[in-house]
Amino acid sequence: MSHLEHQAHTLLAAYVLDAVDRDERAAVDAHLAECADCRADAAALRETVADLAEADAEAPPRAMRDAVLGRVAQTPQLPPTVSQAPSSAPARRRPRRTAWLVAAAAVAVTGIGAAWGALGGDSASRTLERDVIAVASAPDAHTMELALGDSHLVMSDRMDEVAVMGHAAPMPAHGMEYQLWFVLQDGSYMAGPTFVPDDDGDVMTLADLHDETIMGFTVTEEPMGGSEAPTGDMVAEVSL
Amino acid sequence: MADERRRLHVVRDGAASSPHDRSRALDSLLTRAGRGDEQAFADLYDAAAGAVYGVALRVLRSPALAEEVAQDVLVEVWQHAARFDPATGSARAWIVTMAHRRAIDRVRSEQAHADRLRRHGHLFEASAPEPDDIVDVSYRAWRAERVRDGLSRLSDKQREALELAFTKGYTHTELARSLGVPLGTAKARVRDGLMKLRDLWEESP
Repeated sequence: MSHLEHQAHTLLAAYVLDAVDRDERAAVDAHLAECADCRADAAALRETVADLAEADAEAPPRAMRDAVLGRVAQTPQLPPTVSQAPSSAPARRRPRRTAWLVAAAAVAVTGIGAAWGALGGDSASRTLERDVIAVASAPDAHTMELALGDSHLVMSDRMDEVAVMGHAAPMPAHGMEYQLWFVLQDGSYMAGPTFVPDDDGDVMTLADLHDETIMGFTVTEEPMGGSEAPTGDMVAEVSL
Repeated sequence: MADERRRLHVVRDGAASSPHDRSRALDSLLTRAGRGDEQAFADLYDAAAGAVYGVALRVLRSPALAEEVAQDVLVEVWQHAARFDPATGSARAWIVTMAHRRAIDRVRSEQAHADRLRRHGHLFEASAPEPDDIVDVSYRAWRAERVRDGLSRLSDKQREALELAFTKGYTHTELARSLGVPLGTAKARVRDGLMKLRDLWEESP
């Protein structure tokens, strides 16, 4: 056992109690990803912490039920991933502003969309996921149904971003990807990111609204890599 | 109608169901919630909100803050429900440890603020929202008794260390400083204390 592994192991109890600092948490997370024994130990210790915590159960204020269920009714869910641990506090984090941008960065965006579809749990997709949650949790988040399986489009003017998330999306034709388009005021289309469902049919993508006045969104099937202007069949549409 | 729901709920969660059954039932509710089933989530709320709010209150001590954190955690449970994998632990542990972690995060970020409030005597001012009555009293008493019993079997030093880590969000570095012991000692007390509880409770679940 390396020093780091040994340290991660001795930190497990503190880890499940949240009595670790950020670096220690990262070290334990990294170790857990590779060590099934420690994952089992951590799971058992979590049950113990849950026992401790449950002894403190306390009736919440009565109004809390309606408040939570009301929020839930308007909150889209994240698709499943390979990683098991509850991800770390995403809700209040401002997404990093990267090159999600559209016309200029179609290639980069395609890369990330494809990574999500293919790999599910890698760090790019985790970053994406965090950013998508941030949009979905924005105070002005506005959720609309998107006819792509059971999907939603969530827009936040404050964050100047739009996210697509959902599951049970059908696969596009072989060699094709979905591409999101912004319908501008003059009726023209601005290219958004391409994305493909993963093996379970989950989809997720994110794009910057770029301070444009958007009239709506469409999703088309485009050849792998996306197009400059829509060429394929429209598979879903949302007007604002 | 709401009253009827509560009454039925108390009956359903009476002493007849074992802790194991409860835990399994919660696994199933969370799994269904993960598929977008809002009714399953509402049932999950009734089964778990007391624990979520309780741990937040224990850590944060302010009812208002505890409610805020509990609400956020429960919405987060909904958002992440599809990530729950029963093979890696129980829904109960998944939810409650998430609540604990968020409460600790909050206490760390609120510490300075809370200190100021406490000096002015506002933090413990009773805000008395009308409590929901869905927490099953007999089950809760049983849990509390079991935890009291478990804690009583730890050494005073283990109990103290565990208590500080669990309810105050002390990292073991802070713990060592606060208790005036070497870091390794603080770590060992937390670890030995928690593992002893685990062994006790695994023997007699």
